[in-house]
Amino acid sequence: MTAVPALSMTGISKAFPGVRALDDVDFECLPGEVHAICGENGAGKSTLMKILGGSYKPDAGAIHLAGKAVQFTHPRQAAEAGIAIIHQELSLLPHRTVEENIFMGHELARRGILDKVAMRERAAELLRRVGAQIDPQAPVSSLSIALQQVVEIAKALLLDARILVMDEPTAALDERDSRTLLKLVDGLRGEGVSIVYISHRMPEVTAIADRITILKDGRKIWTRPRDAAPISEIVRAMVGRDLKDFYPAVPVSPADEVLLAIEGGMNAGLRDVAFNVRAGEILGVAGLEDSGKGALAQALVGDVPFTSGTVALRGQPIALRTPRQATAAGIGYLPGDRKREGLALRQSVRDNALLTLRSMTGLFTRPQRGALAHDAMDERLRAMDVRAADFGQEVGTLSGGNQQKAIIVRWLAQASDILVFVEPTRGIDIAAKAAIYETMRAFTGSGRGIVVVSSDMPELIGIADRVLVMHQGRISGVVRRGASEEDIMHLALGLADAPSAEAGA
Amino acid sequence: MTTVPQSSPSRRQAARITVNSGLVIFVALYAVIAFLQPNYLEPGLFMNFLRRAAPLVILSCGQLYVILTGGFDLSMGAVATLVVLAASILINGDPETTWAVIGALYAMGIAVGLVNGLVVAFLKVPSIIATLGTMLLVNGLALAWSGGAARGDLPDNFRNLGRLVWRNVPVIGTLPLAALVLTGFVALAWFGLNATVYGKRALAVGDNPRAAELAGTPVAATRILAFVVSAVSAATAGILLGGFSGVSVNAGEGLELQAIAACVIGGAQLLGGRGSVWSAVFGALSLFALFTLLNLLGLPQALRDSIQGLILIAAVGASMWGNRRRT
Amino acid sequence: MTTDRMKPKPGLPVAVLLAGLSIGFFVVVALATGETAQLSGQGIAGLLQRMVALGLVAIGQTFVILVGSIDLSVAALISAVAVLASHVMQGDPAMLLPAVLLCLGLCAAVGFVNGALVAYGGINPLIATLGTGLVIQGVLAASFGALQGSVAREFQIIAYGGVLGVPYSLLLLAALSLAAAFVLDRTLFGARIYAVGGNPDGARLAGIRTERVILSAHMVASFFAGAAGLYLAARLQSGTPWIGRDGIYDLESIAVTVIGGTILAGGKGGVAGTLAGVLLFASLDAGFNMLGIDAFLKQVLRGAIVIAAVAVHAVRTKGHVA
Repeated sequence: MTAVPALSMTGISKAFPGVRALDDVDFECLPGEVHAICGENGAGKSTLMKILGGSYKPDAGAIHLAGKAVQFTHPRQAAEAGIAIIHQELSLLPHRTVEENIFMGHELARRGILDKVAMRERAAELLRRVGAQIDPQAPVSSLSIALQQVVEIAKALLLDARILVMDEPTAALDERDSRTLLKLVDGLRGEGVSIVYISHRMPEVTAIADRITILKDGRKIWTRPRDAAPISEIVRAMVGRDLKDFYPAVPVSPADEVLLAIEGGMNAGLRDVAFNVRAGEILGVAGLEDSGKGALAQALVGDVPFTSGTVALRGQPIALRTPRQATAAGIGYLPGDRKREGLALRQSVRDNALLTLRSMTGLFTRPQRGALAHDAMDERLRAMDVRAADFGQEVGTLSGGNQQKAIIVRWLAQASDILVFVEPTRGIDIAAKAAIYETMRAFTGSGRGIVVVSSDMPELIGIADRVLVMHQGRISGVVRRGASEEDIMHLALGLADAPSAEAGA
Repeated sequence: MTTVPQSSPSRRQAARITVNSGLVIFVALYAVIAFLQPNYLEPGLFMNFLRRAAPLVILSCGQLYVILTGGFDLSMGAVATLVVLAASILINGDPETTWAVIGALYAMGIAVGLVNGLVVAFLKVPSIIATLGTMLLVNGLALAWSGGAARGDLPDNFRNLGRLVWRNVPVIGTLPLAALVLTGFVALAWFGLNATVYGKRALAVGDNPRAAELAGTPVAATRILAFVVSAVSAATAGILLGGFSGVSVNAGEGLELQAIAACVIGGAQLLGGRGSVWSAVFGALSLFALFTLLNLLGLPQALRDSIQGLILIAAVGASMWGNRRRT
Repeated sequence: MTTDRMKPKPGLPVAVLLAGLSIGFFVVVALATGETAQLSGQGIAGLLQRMVALGLVAIGQTFVILVGSIDLSVAALISAVAVLASHVMQGDPAMLLPAVLLCLGLCAAVGFVNGALVAYGGINPLIATLGTGLVIQGVLAASFGALQGSVAREFQIIAYGGVLGVPYSLLLLAALSLAAAFVLDRTLFGARIYAVGGNPDGARLAGIRTERVILSAHMVASFFAGAAGLYLAARLQSGTPWIGRDGIYDLESIAVTVIGGTILAGGKGGVAGTLAGVLLFASLDAGFNMLGIDAFLKQVLRGAIVIAAVAVHAVRTKGHVA
């Protein structure tokens, strides 16, 4: 390896309003090196890569490519400088052929007429180089996700990328495809390409990376060669953070009455899921992005229903085929993406809080009477401490915390038995977080239950009585209150349930 | 990443202003008309203005229901034509059958509305294409049935709904029956949106169907009902049109776009989420006043289409621009 | 790692299937009604000539739909071009060229406005093009309601002349179809259209100026609508302000494009499928005529077919449409 790194980022800092996303981070990658970055969600990985890709401008710090200082203001410039980023969401054209995709935006043409012969040859050459037996004329939609990843890599190579950033490339891949992809990464390394590899899959990282850097809360913890970084060390460095003390006190004796019972729940994203929610319990659900934790929430609220299995609420079997059925059964949903799935942004705070009541009552109910009256709802909103100058103002103008509180009020008014939260405090400031945790605890205090799906592990540990951990659509384990983040991370990485299968990767 | 609360006193004020933009436009336009033709200020002429505007106002109220849920109904003009032709064929001059036939006309309207709603809600065909299709279909049916020309005859008791005017009424002088029908229909439309939970459901569905669905709103039923109300308004308008303009194969032509333009003028937002009955009522009155004014100025009637086109583009462009500035 | 190869050209089978279906329907109806004269060379040429006007509009519509937009103003533009051509020519062959150039200029302007409203104004294409269509229609009806004028006799050769028994109009359609297919399949512009329609964000990341591509596609659609208008003017000798609307060219061009396998979301489809869809409509039309179905019922059937055709492709979409 040569002494001059292909890429070096020094002293990179970036702040967003209210959040310090990156704080004085150094990172470098040599030619022909695979350098892995590990960290929890929100640790700053994607911000660092967006700065490298020219999507964000750093507040401080410098980027050098092969010793030369560069500054990007547009993704196009980064691409021209030889940096290719393969995002998790692929940017392919599903209905077009492989070669057409490889050349998207960079077609070979003479006076506007495509030079198909030259493109075919070049595409075949690139595909050979990545070692994939893909027909350049096959439509991309006929390829597996793994092969689509390969096409993305070929796209990057077309532009002579010297630095390749792969963001969770194996997240959607199964064991066998992952292995093939890793072989490809290994081949590229042999050609002198610098690869920045972001992944949650520990066995993979230790198998492929030459060096590993851990980011946490926007700071670099350490960079070590692979041999000096056993998995246990990596996991500890990723999660070792103090628990915040704003989690509410735990009730002394959680009840034993089973509120909600799922048996054999299956659908496209879930394999044989079985668990209970007890009265008065907050049940956490942890897992990586592709683990099925989101699918579990969607199934519970009837959005993407279970295709088989049974659900019982207080011992009575119930059907959850649509969100309306789930709502009627007493299950309320607080989606993670509030703007797209939770709120009608141009309607008032009050109207958003009243949405479920109005939807579930008879069509000819007078909207100004009883629980539907503005005064009654304003009372509830005030009780929840929703801060708005006027509850008639558009909900889109409120802060994230107040928006979330308004949705909580919506379900409290409906007197739901179970609330399903997804990322309950995403984008919400500390003070509002505490209030939301208090409300969650108060809700279960009256004998009802909460399922909270989150990628924020300290949050799960702080708020949940038990945490289900998911891996590849299954529940890979359950940990009780008092468990450590490392325990959860082990289960989430699938290290506990299938050590032999992963070891070969 | 935290979001900063953005509530400020000026926003609050903006939200509180309840004077409808359509009302302002209407008053301004009517003032110009009255300036050019002072006798438009007499109660009689104003009542006559209302009578002639009645079908458009009623259609706009129906169209508003669909617009609130985020769609369009382009089939309402065809439904009005069907109603006019069907009435004259079915009644064929026999006053005894009038009321039974009116019932049948509403049944036809509701059937078309159901088809529209079901196709949009379950077959996922964008409403602008689905209702263009039903427009062709209903127009074709009406013409095939009537043989392509007006036939049959409408008895007086049917035509009176559109053209009867009571004279010597205290205070206002004259009172057209159509104005009463208009008032009744607007009251019903207001009732549906403001005295039941339907109106708020429709607004939520138009604003964010996904969020509404996850909050338990019956999204499909809300959409379908909107198309049914729209078709019922088209049937009502058709009955009035048959009354004062008689039977013709193009009785309802172009009314659907006038209704959409009217709602937009009144401040309803295309593609959903904002609007009230008053948007439809005052928007329609404004549009009709505009047409009247253009007539007085001697501009050709045919330019109406162009004006509606400009209104559509300008209104959507303006709301796009407003949204972009807000975010 | 091997590729499980699917159908190599997904567009072709749809086109072949549709064409087979159309010809089969036409032949069966001709035999059943005893109108065997329809199966002669002349009868076939007649069938194909029914395709010309709709075919031209639909090819243009295919461009905008492929790029992820739509054009509802084509019907009004067809009328405008037909009216303008006959108004300017007034039967004088010397005015032939100026009239045609003026018409093309109008198409360029309309296409530019549509494209700019959609691509740069960010206005929903359905509303933007509905609006421009209305504006054109209103101006036409107001200014040319009682039109005097006709195209030059020489100009009508396009509709009625021919070489070796093949009408010029068919040759025109064939030439423009081939040109359109070539552009979509073999040029940079075509590749960009598929890229922008298939994945606008991906295309932008790949450095494509998506707005320009959308605008250009709208201009292409307008030029094809203009060609259809000129053809109709030649056939009818003089244009009226309603020929576009009466032919329902807006809706039908969208319907045949979608039937032909071009998806409304954009990025997939092509000219071959669209032409097959046009052939289907022409055969249905000819078949209904042979069967003696009245004009109004025909309209009913068309409305139903349009809805059904779009529904077949739309019903699988997830989420909500409005």
